[in-house]
Amino acid sequence: MTITETTGSTHTIVTICGTLDASTAPDFRNSPAIADPSRTVVIDLDKMDFLDSSGLGALVGVLRRKQEANATILLSCMNPPVRKVFDITGTCKLFHIFDDTDAATDYAATYLRGR
Amino acid sequence: MPQPPLRHPGNHNNAMKTLIAIKEQHQSWVRDAFPNMHPLLLPLCNKPFIEYLIDFAILAGSREIRLLSDGSLMEIEEICQTGSRWGVELTYANIRPEDGERELLHKNRKFCNGSRTMILNGYTFIDYDKRLDYRVLANHSATGPIASCSTGSIAFAGPPEPAADDNPLPALRITPLDSLRSCYHIAMQILETGAERYVLPGYGSEPGCAIGRNVAIAKTAEIRKPVSIGNNVQLLPGTIIGPMAVIGSNVIIDKGSSISGSIIFDNTYIGEQLEIEGRIASGNTLIDPESGASVAMEDPHLLTGIHSATNSATLLRKTIHALAAAILILLQAIPVIILYPLLRLQGKWKNGPITQQAGLAETLAARLSLDRFPLLPKVLLGQLAIIGSAPRSNSPGCRPAVFSYAEAEDWPVTGSDAAIVERYHAVHSTPFNDIGMTIKALINRPHKRNAGAAA
Amino acid sequence: MAFRLETQNGITIGIAELDERLDAENSKALQKACGDWQQQTPFLVFDCTKLDFIDSSGLGAIVSCLRRSLEKNGDLKLAGLNAKVSMVFELTKAKKLFSIFSNASDAAASFAASRQP
Repeated sequence: MTITETTGSTHTIVTICGTLDASTAPDFRNSPAIADPSRTVVIDLDKMDFLDSSGLGALVGVLRRKQEANATILLSCMNPPVRKVFDITGTCKLFHIFDDTDAATDYAATYLRGR
Repeated sequence: MPQPPLRHPGNHNNAMKTLIAIKEQHQSWVRDAFPNMHPLLLPLCNKPFIEYLIDFAILAGSREIRLLSDGSLMEIEEICQTGSRWGVELTYANIRPEDGERELLHKNRKFCNGSRTMILNGYTFIDYDKRLDYRVLANHSATGPIASCSTGSIAFAGPPEPAADDNPLPALRITPLDSLRSCYHIAMQILETGAERYVLPGYGSEPGCAIGRNVAIAKTAEIRKPVSIGNNVQLLPGTIIGPMAVIGSNVIIDKGSSISGSIIFDNTYIGEQLEIEGRIASGNTLIDPESGASVAMEDPHLLTGIHSATNSATLLRKTIHALAAAILILLQAIPVIILYPLLRLQGKWKNGPITQQAGLAETLAARLSLDRFPLLPKVLLGQLAIIGSAPRSNSPGCRPAVFSYAEAEDWPVTGSDAAIVERYHAVHSTPFNDIGMTIKALINRPHKRNAGAAA
Repeated sequence: MAFRLETQNGITIGIAELDERLDAENSKALQKACGDWQQQTPFLVFDCTKLDFIDSSGLGAIVSCLRRSLEKNGDLKLAGLNAKVSMVFELTKAKKLFSIFSNASDAAASFAASRQP
């Protein structure tokens, strides 16, 4: 798995490439924008090819911490197999999910700034 | 389900998109009333709710439809797949319960792609007419909602085309689908206005009468239009179906019962001499759509009208079953004695031979139903019946048995279908019929296994 | 099962209040009690206001009570059926056998009215 961070003024775009599972979840958690609870991130899942329960657990855990600090996670470009994981587990309700990374960043900039 | 072709508009100037957004909060009543049914599959006159929305989206000129929900869409995705059945491209996405129209559009910006988008928001029924052209409406309506009710709305986003002529736009009425009562009334309205307005499943040589596949209608059964009947339905002698009856799939209506102004959902058995008027029946529950009151029809006598049960039949049944088991034991003893050491040595005998693999000995064991041999002594002891509910089934109201009626009948042996066949025979079969059914089961089981439906 | 006698217009009417459940456990008891009541009068009213659950044996008991009242040239009328109980009566066509009233006093009054010249 490789993680790329692109930092903007209000939020950071995090691109995850590859697999998010038990072995890569710690790296994900330690990525700077993810580890900072007050930073709102847009996670681009376009190149994520596999997500297992520990990966999902990491995502939900990070979301909790960020929400406590008044920030959040926005997900974008989820492919059908990854969407199924969110659907089956009911975690789709927890996240804002966009089909486009630009739309997600606009959303972060316009709607979330006021909070 | 056969779908008459819906006309597609030409692919002119960036075809319209449709977002269908349905939230759990509006569907909770369906989950309460029918816990095993996905609310989007709620049948309205034997057609799942979601198909009406898809049909309307197509009539409005959409070729790309996205289904949005704050709940699970897996079941819908399995059934609707990519939408190729309707000639459209169907995709799925998740939203949050609090999302408004603005958020829906934002979250699906790539999908909408700046083109004209129709948003069907909420759990509502759209009273469309398939003969009308809704493309005019879709292309020329101003941005914003064009119809709304307490549980949802139809709205448009994106640039409208300037009105080319002064053709009046067809009026649209949407009705909240917010209770059993509204579900009942909408289904009745669909049945009444019939296939003229909606694309409905089933075949019929005359209007007001749609009948599905594998429907057996007794000579003395009477059908009074309008009716809609699903697949795998048995109407026994003396039944009166209709007027205004919607019978789902896998339904048996027993002798002398009448159904009018009612909806019988899938997988339902209606006993003898019953009268169902203005009700919804689902499984063993009978519901009054107006008051919401429901009664369980699990009482075996309620399934068969009023007459007292006699217990003398039980002893006769047990005796005959024991005799049949004894004969079977004698018949199977020789093959068992020959095959047991053989299969035991190969490790293919654990509480009965393993009959799935394709060796000669296993095939022979399967053909002779030797896998059930160890159960037969229990019939002699009266602990099991020779034929009854699914082998060794222990659910209440069943007659646990070595063979099941479903195995004997050439019915599709999925769970609920089998339960209905078994319930029917449990009520009707005499001890002597049971012997015949046992022989049928013995003949049919290996045949089914070969067909790939191993018990 | 409270039972009382009322006299209206010269007719003695027996009014029985049924309990919450009428099923295999207590339907025999109802039939037996009803036999005693019918010694006193064939004009009966079953007040079903409290009745919330009835199964086929309960239904059978009520139908046999009706049959015996009819044999004695009387009648058995029902009053105060709730939606669930009413559905069971409709489903089994038993509803057609009975005169059904919204409350016990209407049912009793109908016996008196039928005797008016």
